[in-house]
Amino acid sequence: MRAPLRLLGWTLVACIGAAAIAVLALHRGETVSAAWLLTAAVATYAIGYRFYSRMIATRIFALDASRVTPAVAHEDGRDYVPTNRWIVFGHHFAAIAGPGPLVGPTLAAQFGYLPGAIWILIGCVLGGAVQDFVILCASLRRDGRSLGAMAADEIGPVAGTTALVAVLGIMIILVAVLALVVVNALKASPWGTVTLALTVPIALFLGLYLRYLRPDRVLEATAIGLLMLAGALFAGRWVAEQPALASIFTLGPIALSAWIVAYAFAASVLPVWLLLAPRDYLSAFVKIGVVVALAVGILLLLPPLRMPAITPFVNGTGPVIAGKVFPFVFITIACGAISGFHALIASGTTPKMVTREPDARPIGYGAMCIESLVAILALIAACSLTPGVYFAINAPAGLLGTTAESAAHAIAGWGFQVAPADLTSLAHQVGETSLLSRTGGAPSLAVGMAQVFAGVLGHPAAQAAAGRGLALWYHFAIMFEALFLLTTLDAGTRVGRFMLQDLAGRVWAPLGRVSWYPAVILCSAGFVGTWGLFLYQGVTDPLGGINSLWPLFGIANQLLAAIALSVGTTVIIRMGKARYAAVTLVPLAWLVIVAGTAGILKIFSPDPRLGFLAHARQQLDAHVANAGRIAFNDRLDAAVAAAALVAVLVILIESARVWIRAWREPGAGARRLAMAAD
Amino acid sequence: MRAEIRVRLAAHRTRLIATIRAIVGAPDYRRYLAHMARAHPGVAPLSRRAFVRERQAARYDRPGTRCC
Repeated sequence: MRAPLRLLGWTLVACIGAAAIAVLALHRGETVSAAWLLTAAVATYAIGYRFYSRMIATRIFALDASRVTPAVAHEDGRDYVPTNRWIVFGHHFAAIAGPGPLVGPTLAAQFGYLPGAIWILIGCVLGGAVQDFVILCASLRRDGRSLGAMAADEIGPVAGTTALVAVLGIMIILVAVLALVVVNALKASPWGTVTLALTVPIALFLGLYLRYLRPDRVLEATAIGLLMLAGALFAGRWVAEQPALASIFTLGPIALSAWIVAYAFAASVLPVWLLLAPRDYLSAFVKIGVVVALAVGILLLLPPLRMPAITPFVNGTGPVIAGKVFPFVFITIACGAISGFHALIASGTTPKMVTREPDARPIGYGAMCIESLVAILALIAACSLTPGVYFAINAPAGLLGTTAESAAHAIAGWGFQVAPADLTSLAHQVGETSLLSRTGGAPSLAVGMAQVFAGVLGHPAAQAAAGRGLALWYHFAIMFEALFLLTTLDAGTRVGRFMLQDLAGRVWAPLGRVSWYPAVILCSAGFVGTWGLFLYQGVTDPLGGINSLWPLFGIANQLLAAIALSVGTTVIIRMGKARYAAVTLVPLAWLVIVAGTAGILKIFSPDPRLGFLAHARQQLDAHVANAGRIAFNDRLDAAVAAAALVAVLVILIESARVWIRAWREPGAGARRLAMAAD
Repeated sequence: MRAEIRVRLAAHRTRLIATIRAIVGAPDYRRYLAHMARAHPGVAPLSRRAFVRERQAARYDRPGTRCC
């Protein structure tokens, strides 16, 4: 009796989900409620989790509660600690959720809500969640080994080294693009700049507090820190209202970049307890709190999606990201659909905490579904803005000009109406002088979030007060986004420094000594200088920099995912489960197609808006100011894209050799694995 | 009766704190002490300060603890 009932229930979920997707896809003209998108998302995750992840858990890996996990086998009270599965779930989610799933969908909203939504949902259940889950299972069966180590063991030393170098390259691009998002959010904004600058002394205070006043009282210190953050928000407003002070903190993009570079360098050389660790705790709380608040706000308000389902920009003329919807929506949204970075977490701290093998299913597959839902929330926040406002914030100054009139005119040319006075008054409502061309996604997400929060809490009777409320919410959202962008940036810089030291130490051993100050400073400066170069290139780019750097990051991240899926496929074939290899081979093939196409287009496209080499040639031919520098930057970007493509090609060829060998001699892999398990 | 409730509440509080700390990635010194007492009774464990310092250093010197 129970089985038919259950069947009926799941059929109902499938029907509701399909109906919601149909409404979203077929709806034209009027706005459509965000409720449909949320319904489609939840139904998709539920079905993917219940059926697909179960198939992977039982048929492929045969997860077994009686099998000893690395956490139990190697328990040491430090890295290897058997932990309750919901705690590991929370820890894993907090580790994988960063600014990525918020920024990507916001940028991809230029294509309309539909392409982004479809990719986020399908990419997650068939790609991203599968990757995270498979890598977690593989690592669980290999003593919690890292992705790089598994690539070396399963595929070969060339693949292992390639994976390591690829990770280092991606870190550089990631940190540069995150820094650029922060710069665009804070430029000419004394309120935002002061608030964010104050988070540094707050973190230093918490670091000292945790070390000397109340050692290891993390929750108590963080509570104090959160109160101080609220104070910083009001202090920022106060400064912005004092003309003399405000002008000191009204910084241009280059000055802001210099401060961020200096900050990251300091975070890399200072002891972690002083700056990095307290910031990280603060950021983790703010992150979880804001994601929950955004979800509750959107659920209560269910805002209409004002962006059309599909905009004319699918043809490649979009102002936010150059290029057609294929392949560019698939690399613009990485985190939220599939992100190679997650494979590092799923083979990093997480597998060393899992107590029972079956726990890997909610942790690996489930946490990714929640991250994907965060991406859907960001997409809703971006698409609930009036399209005119969205493009005014996200299109570069090279296309909009610098006044509200020129922006409204340019946007009207794209087919969206917005009054110049509305742009100016919205900027004043959120406490800024201008919102034009604040590219990078963070500011438009902040406006969307501010409207959601103000909409939930504001009374229509108190419109005047709500205006001031909107400014507070906007700067709260900016502070939170910048806080967690910077937390990824400073931790990323430190990890990058260690990786660089590791590589440099192979050339000259003393450079690898992590406590020898000259080596620490040299490698920190080397890493910071490299991403600083990309950042400088981004802030001086008239097309906004996001245009060139974000696709580069997307390509690199998807290629890392391709490496992870190659490792996953190898693991599955070697287990003797080659008949299920399509589970990882299909998303792998798709990623190679989209990231490969995107990479080749970014390098070779004859359209100077799209192709790096064509842009370099155009700038040189036109003899614009600094043409030489711009051309050098373009060619550097082209080289980075080419290097990423070569890296993936190397891994694919190496993997294919292993797959064919395992295919011909099916017993070998299974025997090897049985030995490894003993 | 009262005392029993108080003890139980305190236990819940301890567990809640440990849960939140684990999620944000703060080191668990009690857990470490318990492990050392059980598995290596003869070895003197690290002090709280040394333990926290060692854990933090390990957390920020390799990829795999944080994402984009």
